[in-house]
Amino acid sequence: MENKKNHAGPLMIALQHDDLFDLNSVSTNTELPKGRAFTFIKAVQTVNERLVEQNKNESLLFEVILITKECSEDVKMKIVESVKHYDLEIGKFYFCKKEELKNTLQSNKVKLFLSTDRDDVHEALHSGISAALLYDQADHRVLKQLKVIFSGDVLGFSEDSLESYLEFELSEKQIETVKAAKICVKEFAVLIGQMRRRFGPENSPICICVLTTWGSRNVCASALKTLREWGLDVDEAFCLAGAPAHPILSIVNPHILWDGGFHNMRDLATLS
Amino acid sequence: MSNPDGSERAGQSNYDSSEEKDWAAVKALFDNSKTTKKPRPPKPSNAVTIAVSSRTLFNMIKERKVFEEEGLERYVAHQLELEDQPFPPGVSFPFVKALMNVNARLRDLYPDSEELFDIVLMTNNHAQVGVRLINSINHYDLTIERFCMTGGESPIGYLKAYMTNLYLSKDSMKVQEAIEEGIAAATMFTGDSENELSDTQLRVAFDGDAVLFSDESEIIVKEHGLDTFFKHEKEFENKPLAQGPLKCFLEALGKLQRKFYAKNQRINCPIRTYLVTARSAASAGARVLKTLRSWGLEVDEALFLAGAPKGPLLQKIKPHIFFDDQMFHIEGAQELGTIAAHVPYGIGQKYHKGKRIETSDAEKK
Repeated sequence: MENKKNHAGPLMIALQHDDLFDLNSVSTNTELPKGRAFTFIKAVQTVNERLVEQNKNESLLFEVILITKECSEDVKMKIVESVKHYDLEIGKFYFCKKEELKNTLQSNKVKLFLSTDRDDVHEALHSGISAALLYDQADHRVLKQLKVIFSGDVLGFSEDSLESYLEFELSEKQIETVKAAKICVKEFAVLIGQMRRRFGPENSPICICVLTTWGSRNVCASALKTLREWGLDVDEAFCLAGAPAHPILSIVNPHILWDGGFHNMRDLATLS
Repeated sequence: MSNPDGSERAGQSNYDSSEEKDWAAVKALFDNSKTTKKPRPPKPSNAVTIAVSSRTLFNMIKERKVFEEEGLERYVAHQLELEDQPFPPGVSFPFVKALMNVNARLRDLYPDSEELFDIVLMTNNHAQVGVRLINSINHYDLTIERFCMTGGESPIGYLKAYMTNLYLSKDSMKVQEAIEEGIAAATMFTGDSENELSDTQLRVAFDGDAVLFSDESEIIVKEHGLDTFFKHEKEFENKPLAQGPLKCFLEALGKLQRKFYAKNQRINCPIRTYLVTARSAASAGARVLKTLRSWGLEVDEALFLAGAPKGPLLQKIKPHIFFDDQMFHIEGAQELGTIAAHVPYGIGQKYHKGKRIETSDAEKK
């Protein structure tokens, strides 16, 4: 049974600077143009504002740190300037090499590493980092709500449903990856669950969704129960049984899409 | 739905081919499944997708009361308390079972085809109520593998995303919105008594004007009277009527019927369609039949009532669902135990029992 004691302290998220700012467009301004993570950052700031509105002394807020892998001093300066320019709440900056990523994230107690690059996310998951896709929102409307999608296929995994995963010819290794991803995301889920519970079912600045792409309805039910055990109440749930996901994703328009690397795994399943 | 930024996300044609890849992968996964207990759900673009709301599929009257009297939070808590108790069947339950029966027959005749009914649960409920809904679906062993729990958001966008061919709900506002977006939809009501329905044949009854056809002729009746109407229909007998909101659903049913005919199953075809219209055969019936013919559609039985009440006839037909645009006929059908669904479309919404309603009342309907 999950420890329901109030976890004080911030919920740490890590972003990469090339998602926050667009480094490819040429600009004469001193600040860098906005990148894909912008709507995400704004949504996170909205959540924080609403949390503080309810409780001035709220310690469970989002804190975003910015990771930069390799770049020139010039670009480093621009990044810091740009963050100031757009008035973004970035807690810390880390300029580190790729190999140092895991340590940097761990020492900062980062609960979720976000990237718009699927391969980046997949690699991070493989090295045991809790990571998710920063979804490329089709429009840049700033929503008053942070939307997070969790994969029901991964969360719905349990010893009971193991048989159906084996039936679908996922290898032992792939099963292990699914199990590991599920364990990995728990800390993030527990904290965001506590945040979500600061608000009621309506008018919440956080919207939690579960998307089951090929698992059965029982896998979906299992995912919902798992999240409930972890203290995370789900708002929207979709079960597709193989139907294309992108029409649904276009409507939900999430900021964060956590699929535990499952999407990549399905491709592997067809090759084997 | 394609992205303005084309660089990392694929353009539309790449999407389609990666979708094909995904579908092929899913197909392969299901086909390789060692215990083929469950049949593979069809690809949405090949299937006839019926979206039913939770309150039409199941009887949730008691729970609804809690929601209305005590609010959302108490409602959700109440549902969680009763999670292991399956809901009793609702108004669309017989219709859903009949669809499942048709699917079983289609799979027998065409084991590899994806031209089947696909039933999707489309509900406004929060996902936490989902566990109880899934438990209930399991309890009745319904083949509903796809669902969408919108947590309070409008279902309209999702209806399109799930490629819905017909949407059934108890909420007339959502139904109206769906129709305005070009999706066939109808509002269902809790029935009084129910007639014993066939469990081997799906029977669907349609009203004609403002359901299969547009309301153009109905406007003439309402605004100029019956005589003008008869004259008009005779004069324009050979001009097909424009289509109404449920024409495409009839078309979808016809397509599946022809699959049975192709295998010599016309006599025991598990789908039967009925046109139940207040028109009379002699004066206004020809135009209707000619319109259907011009669309390449058929109904198995066309019943012209010449203004007589529909209730008794429907009681004999025993359809799993009857679509009409006028509440007067819906009520008449229900009084004699028929499951009736209201199509909120056209001029009929501004009238009740032949009298024009005040605009503000009309908006409430």
